Amino acid sequence: MPFQQGSARTRQRTVLLVGIVVLLVVLVLAVVLASLLTHGKPEVSPKMMKWKDRGTTKNLQEVILGRCYSYVMARYPELGDKDCLKIWESLKHAFIYKNPCNTTSEDYQPLMELASHPIPCNKSLFWSKTKDLAHRYTKSNQNFLTLEDTLLGYMTDTVSWCGDPSAPGINYESCPKRSECESNPTSVFWKMASKMFAEEACGVVQVMLNGSIEAGAFRSNSIFGSIEVFNLNPDKVSAVHIWLMHDIGGPQSESCSGHSIMMLRSILEERNFTITCEDNYRPVQLLQCVQNPDHTDCQPCANATAAP
Amino acid sequence: MWEAFKNAFINKDPCNILPKDYELFINLSLHTIPPNKSLFWENNQLLVNTFAGRGRRYMSLGDTLFGFFGDFLNWCGQAGSTELDYESCPTTEECENNAVESFWRMASITYAQQSSGVIHVLLNGSSVGGAYPEPGFFADYEIPNLQKDKISQIVIWVVDDIKGPDRDSCGTHTVKKLENRLKTLGYDVTCTDNYKSVMFLLCLDYPDDSQCTLSSSAAAAQRGPISSNRGGSWDKFMFVSFVGFLLRFALVY
Repeated sequence: MPFQQGSARTRQRTVLLVGIVVLLVVLVLAVVLASLLTHGKPEVSPKMMKWKDRGTTKNLQEVILGRCYSYVMARYPELGDKDCLKIWESLKHAFIYKNPCNTTSEDYQPLMELASHPIPCNKSLFWSKTKDLAHRYTKSNQNFLTLEDTLLGYMTDTVSWCGDPSAPGINYESCPKRSECESNPTSVFWKMASKMFAEEACGVVQVMLNGSIEAGAFRSNSIFGSIEVFNLNPDKVSAVHIWLMHDIGGPQSESCSGHSIMMLRSILEERNFTITCEDNYRPVQLLQCVQNPDHTDCQPCANATAAP
Repeated sequence: MWEAFKNAFINKDPCNILPKDYELFINLSLHTIPPNKSLFWENNQLLVNTFAGRGRRYMSLGDTLFGFFGDFLNWCGQAGSTELDYESCPTTEECENNAVESFWRMASITYAQQSSGVIHVLLNGSSVGGAYPEPGFFADYEIPNLQKDKISQIVIWVVDDIKGPDRDSCGTHTVKKLENRLKTLGYDVTCTDNYKSVMFLLCLDYPDDSQCTLSSSAAAAQRGPISSNRGGSWDKFMFVSFVGFLLRFALVY
């Protein structure tokens, strides 16, 4: 009987061993399968470059198209020949699948040609550090146009975009800041658009500057000071009117006789422009008073007849 | 939202579109209006648009998602076709129950229902037929749908066009009718003529009108704008004369 006991034990041992091996195989298979499945799941742009600024605006195509149609159909029907789909395509091709730090002005040339339109003389309004006020003014008074009131500016204002060499070619997660690379898609775009806006200006040109900021109303490193001023065409532009606005109840850091205004004057005079400067151009000040109706600066003239 | 909006009027008789056809669209685009920010209006759409400041100062119907959707647009469909009609659409005179009219009726009802706190109404005191028109959207679709228990006060502003006639004002004609109607309904009502903030906005186009001159800018106008040619030479002149005076003073002394 000891031989029989021995064989039973061996059989038991074998069964156990086989059981363990099977378990091990199953475990290994499970691990391999699991890793394969998770690897196969598409990660969010695994190879896309990571940047510090906000990514491409969601639904960029719909936003650009919608704004284009809205501008052409509703605001300026005389621009009826503009093909919004073509315009969107030319914007897309300027940056899709490209390295966002290698943007050149050539990339935007087709877009500039398709979307540009003439601007009536005496209506161009430039601005520096007065974006909100300048735009509120042009919305209330259709006599002036800022860059953001042209088709190109209207479509792209407050929107961001950048590409990436890997699929899908557009980076919705992040885009490069200027500090990361100067030749990024939006910086290059705005420089080009500003240059064109200045080149197109004719007749009397207006610029709204901020006399309440410490750093000075006119700054040579602003887009106005570095690009627009130098691209005004002396053969087309007769004069430059400066509107130097102060915040209602705000500091009067600078006025028309101030240092940075003198600097701006000398730059413009050198290029043969006539310059005038007005502190707190009245219509724009009236607009500021809408929000501060009870401030002393907004009190009606003592001689004015009371409203009926 | 687009699908729901389209299905309200596509493939239907363009003269048989009812406000409730837009119910699904409204449900999808509905959102609350911040208290005290509602701004109702009649006969001054562009002014209201500017004054509301795109929802920052006030939220007019055109600043809500559902109102913004249809603002400044026109649309209609045709029976027996899934296409939009780009050729022509019925006016409200031709038939009341058209796609656009019913949309605005539904949107106005919704806007009134979502309003709370202090309610503002901006009326045009120069309007032919009165500042408070009846029939009108405010009279027929908004007032009846205001939620009385959510509203603390109704503020009426009656503003005349600059250089426009003063046909209506607080306590007179149609505005009086409106004030009485709201008071009868139990609301706390105030009324102001030519509200200052709005006047400033109207003044943009008439900065030299007597109603628009400001004491601060009147003084500035006396000083006059500084032109480049005069400015530089004036400064130089003053400097030279001051130096000259000092020298003479020194010599004499």
